[in-house]
Amino acid sequence: MSLFTSFKLEKDVNMGSFFKNIGNSLKEFGVAVAKGDIWVKLSLIIMGAGYFGRKQIARGILMTLLQCGVIASLVTVFFPYMAKLNTLGTVQREEIFDIVTMKKTVNDYDNSLLILLYGIIGILIIVAFIALYISNIRAVYREQKMQENGEHLNTFSEDLVSFKNENFHITLLTLPSIGVLLINIIPILFMVCIAFTNYDENHQPPTYLFTWVGIKNFISLFTNSQTITFGYAFVRVLVWTLVWAIIATATTFFGGILLAQFINHEHTMGKGLWRTLFVITIGIPQFVTLLLISKMFGDYGIVNTWCADVGILDFFKNIGLLGPGAACIPFLSKPGWAHVTIILVNIWVGIPYQMLIATGILMNIPTDQIESARIDGANKFQIFWKITMPYVMFITGPSLIQSVIQNINNFNVIYLLTYNYTTTDMALANSNAKEVDLLITWLFRLTNEYSNFKMASVIGIITFVICASLSLLTFSRMIGGDKEGIYR
Amino acid sequence: MNKTIKKIIRHIVLALLAFIWLIPIIWLFVTTFSTQKGINTNHFFPDHWTLDNYYQLFFKPDAAANFPAWFANSMIIGVCCCIVSSLFVTMTAYAFSCLDFKGRKQLMSFSLILGMFPGVLSMIAMYFVLKLLGLSDSIVGLIILYSGASGLGYLVLKGFFDTIPISLHEAARLEGASEATIFTRIVLPLSKPMIVYTIINSFLTPWMDFVLARLMIKSKNSADWTMAIGLFNLLQRALVNQYFTIFCCGGLMIAVPISILFIMTQKFYVEGVTGGAVKG
Repeated sequence: MSLFTSFKLEKDVNMGSFFKNIGNSLKEFGVAVAKGDIWVKLSLIIMGAGYFGRKQIARGILMTLLQCGVIASLVTVFFPYMAKLNTLGTVQREEIFDIVTMKKTVNDYDNSLLILLYGIIGILIIVAFIALYISNIRAVYREQKMQENGEHLNTFSEDLVSFKNENFHITLLTLPSIGVLLINIIPILFMVCIAFTNYDENHQPPTYLFTWVGIKNFISLFTNSQTITFGYAFVRVLVWTLVWAIIATATTFFGGILLAQFINHEHTMGKGLWRTLFVITIGIPQFVTLLLISKMFGDYGIVNTWCADVGILDFFKNIGLLGPGAACIPFLSKPGWAHVTIILVNIWVGIPYQMLIATGILMNIPTDQIESARIDGANKFQIFWKITMPYVMFITGPSLIQSVIQNINNFNVIYLLTYNYTTTDMALANSNAKEVDLLITWLFRLTNEYSNFKMASVIGIITFVICASLSLLTFSRMIGGDKEGIYR
Repeated sequence: MNKTIKKIIRHIVLALLAFIWLIPIIWLFVTTFSTQKGINTNHFFPDHWTLDNYYQLFFKPDAAANFPAWFANSMIIGVCCCIVSSLFVTMTAYAFSCLDFKGRKQLMSFSLILGMFPGVLSMIAMYFVLKLLGLSDSIVGLIILYSGASGLGYLVLKGFFDTIPISLHEAARLEGASEATIFTRIVLPLSKPMIVYTIINSFLTPWMDFVLARLMIKSKNSADWTMAIGLFNLLQRALVNQYFTIFCCGGLMIAVPISILFIMTQKFYVEGVTGGAVKG
């Protein structure tokens, strides 16, 4: 029962209460310093002192060791880098050939990359350390209170046992959290910072330095001039990304439901067999099937041979979709054509997944509703549109937004189908974009092929803003909507 | 009579659809037996059939096509990630689903927000870090990247843990079981199908991934590559006329184990994706 009430309490957590929490802990910190005994006051300098005073030797030693470790690492490793954070380094690397020793010597140069990285980690360590410091004083003061009231203080072995019980979440979450911090959070902070620097192919450490440039990169993303065409490219890429995400989600979603409905029909024999036939396509990794399909639809691929043989090529020429001189159908090499092909191929890729998901949902539809609708004289289409679809939408509605977001970030389909595509639009080519690029593939090629890290970071941040604002639509249902306890 | 015709039409339509979906797969399959090394653009089926391509794939690796090395690399990465990610995902999902602690909701919201950053972006930064550590182009680096942040993928499993009745936990607590015992002795055995699903998924994520490997692996030595990079490289303009059939053989070979896993676990998959939602 206690779990339930606490869910309700936490429901109203928002930014306001976050600051309130900080305020409260600062207040308690003040009280602890003012009213604490000598051991609490000693803890201000030696963090383990409060525990030594209450004979919790092991805890005290651990806390003091932690304090020493953090301070030592800050002073020896991080402070030298953090001091240069404001300029990201001033001394450029220089190699001098010494004639006497016949060796190259390198000066003591600054590495902007390292300065930024260590700077971020150092700041995180300091923030974490301050939080630990405050909570430590509060904990020590709490122990003082408990001792005065004659309550039992945990011994070290009792502390250890608590990690199997009331503190079990710490045991479980420590390693995954460290993983997320190192692999996800620090890199994200790092790349967000890169968006405000001039880190590109001309400023690559260790040979060259890069430095802060403010919001210049954000401005150039929206500029359209003779030399900078990012504004031109950005609008086009953004529009195609959104169009793609919506069409791709809608087609696979409805296609999947229709296919699942078709297979699940009472007159269909061998349901499992049909399902398996479609699922086989999931079994082959996308980088194989998509590369294969890109070869099939290539300018001189097998599909073009068929089309020429059957007369589709001539038909397209006759109705004016292709010029009279066209030697092939440019399925993946001309804008427009490529866009349609990509969406069709995505239907091929996506429907089996959706079919599986929809099958699971359709099997759980309450049959009594369908039964009573049938008795009332509803026909099949009415049943599908009035009962089946609302039910499916009710369950998968929120996940639809999720799949729009996934499609915005759908790297594989676009990149693997169009890695050979070359744009003829000079303004796009100037900013390294193509007509078929999504934000994510543009970002990828900017870094991987052109080392333009600053613009890639800017685009990444924009992508995040788009995805986050889309998610806000479902946010309340996913987190605020308190559904998890209801079905237990 | 009318009903029979309808039934036949229904099956013909299904057969047609299935055929469309299988065309690329069939093409992949038959091309592996082709004597023509490049892409056969004139005929769907090869003109002459042979098994030489498989022999070359497995026993005659060269500088461009080093399938045994790629397979080994991908396998090592897959298995290591499978172990670490399954552990991380299970632990995170359980903590968020069944334990009550301060800041649980905030952490969950935070993890959702983190998930919205394009993964490629943080991977670019990780590339710099791994390069500093000398781990770029190495299997260890890829394993760290694939498995490190895997705790964020806890949602599906959490949805399943949510459906385990809370009375079971309370009963166990009354009997004096610690939280750790409840986790290992009660919840885990009850969730076997979902755990299997999680394990398979953790294996398949690195096994089928392309983008991260492409970002991380810059080595020119084909023995350092994973399956995805190796096969992608075979389709370069300079190589495709010599190695297209090898590409097909390799593609089919990685697909076989996955297809078997998928077909065996189709049921889990359906349950897994909808498990949390259906109950709603």
